[in-house]
Amino acid sequence: MSEGVGIENSIDLDQAKVDSELQPSHKADGVWPKLRIQHVSKSFQSKNGKVYVLEDINFEIQQGEFVCIVGPSGCGKTTLLNIVAGLEKADAGEVWANDYKINGAGTDRVVIFQEAALFPWLNVIKNVEFGLKLKGINGSKRRSTALEYLKMVHLTKFQNAHVHELSGGMKQRVAIARALAMNPEMLLMDEPFSALDAQTRWILHFELQNIWLKTKKTILFVTHNIREAVCLADRIIILSSSPGRIKKEFLVNLPRPRDDNDVNVAEYSTRIMKELKAEIDKVMKCEMDADSCVECDIKCTTEGVAKTDMGGGI
Amino acid sequence: MYSIFKRAVFFILLIGFWELLFRCGIWPEYVLPSPVSVYKTLIRGFQDQTFIIGIAISMKRIAIGYGISIVIGIFLGLLIGRVRVFEETLGSLISGLQTLPTICWLPLALLWFGLNDRAIIFLVIMGAVLSITVATDVGVKSVPPLYIRAAKTMGARGWKLYLEVIIPAALPHIITGMKQGWSFAWRSLMAGELLIVCLGLGHLMMIGRELNDMSQVIAVMIVIVIIGILVDRLFFVKMEKRIRERWGLVKG
Repeated sequence: MSEGVGIENSIDLDQAKVDSELQPSHKADGVWPKLRIQHVSKSFQSKNGKVYVLEDINFEIQQGEFVCIVGPSGCGKTTLLNIVAGLEKADAGEVWANDYKINGAGTDRVVIFQEAALFPWLNVIKNVEFGLKLKGINGSKRRSTALEYLKMVHLTKFQNAHVHELSGGMKQRVAIARALAMNPEMLLMDEPFSALDAQTRWILHFELQNIWLKTKKTILFVTHNIREAVCLADRIIILSSSPGRIKKEFLVNLPRPRDDNDVNVAEYSTRIMKELKAEIDKVMKCEMDADSCVECDIKCTTEGVAKTDMGGGI
Repeated sequence: MYSIFKRAVFFILLIGFWELLFRCGIWPEYVLPSPVSVYKTLIRGFQDQTFIIGIAISMKRIAIGYGISIVIGIFLGLLIGRVRVFEETLGSLISGLQTLPTICWLPLALLWFGLNDRAIIFLVIMGAVLSITVATDVGVKSVPPLYIRAAKTMGARGWKLYLEVIIPAALPHIITGMKQGWSFAWRSLMAGELLIVCLGLGHLMMIGRELNDMSQVIAVMIVIVIIGILVDRLFFVKMEKRIRERWGLVKG
């Protein structure tokens, strides 16, 4: 299923990146994959009949892998994440985490939402402690664990602050600390940085990569931002829209920590963008006036980026 | 400071006007007593402890009645707010009953409980419980679903979800309902004590009326107003301020 798109056929890049590019993305080896999604389908009933949001989705995620799901708006990527989280039920198909079938929400799969979803009645440290308290961990142990993770996101100074006193980026960092404090098997992130300004997002991309390198958590990350996906992921799964199907998979094998503005990241994004062009086209045609020329707009932007590239010969 | 000064001047003028009206001698003293005699009655009432006993008895009743209505009100509000069936059935009953003045429950209370404490407590409960129920219902319905989803992925379910997420998230609404419920409870208590005469502040007022001692009636009225204000200031205003600060609804 996975299709590694080799970098070697494009431009001269570091040797390190080219290695292992075409390896299969998952091996059985008798070990359970962290997450197995099998034949998952989901549809909603709307006024105009049934809408197929997801159709026969199949993929696996290995222990410690950082996977991004990318797709145009309305392709069901958030629905897919919710199904994995156990917050929504699939019409058909199964989701397995390790060796058990997912049936409802569980503390082994903590979700980080687009809005931080911090609780305003608790201060920062109590928010981080929330999940631990539910687990029944006692006061002092709880506090020290919470502080440890708050330190990881560099916010110990704000441990007694109220939630509304934090900026958007700080809230999202607290949400990450809160999720990590639960010590989940897997982090599910639903466009967590899309509401933030560009600079904050840029910093958080570094922080998240560092946290991932430190904790080696399995991360499933949903985004509509291809650049973000290339910056963060080991593997990118592209979903098509209506019905949501897996269109393609890409392996990203650039050295870490990656920078959003890095030329290689930009170059890789452009190539994925081109693959996605048809999908974006489809969505745009639904959303925009009939007389608009989506084709030429996209051509314009993609060629523009290509020209500014190092090699430019894509 | 300036507003306190303005308020003081206003009340001094008001009392002065009252004294002036009394001195004109248009009405006999049992219709309009002087502020001085009201003040004396107030002092005497506290000195011989009749007022203190009256306050204690009334406060005990309202503490029991109001306490019960908080528990019942929050429970019913959660049921109506979270369970569809209860919203469609119980919800409509509650909103219907809200139009009924509390004192209309008096005949029922007398038949069920007789002329005693329990009838008064029943009135207090009926006064407060509906506002708390409705406010809790509104509060529960306005809890952002995102909080519930986030809490679920962190392992909150069953009663813990209610205790740790839904009730705290609905607390601003619940406090508003409790504040309104308190004022209704306080009014129902006085109505009950006036009509079911068995000790308490309301009873003291009725004694004043029976003895043609208008200064006692007014003195008790002042006590009732002061207790009402104190509870509001010391508890509800503080609570609301704390919640507003915490949730970031005010600056500073």
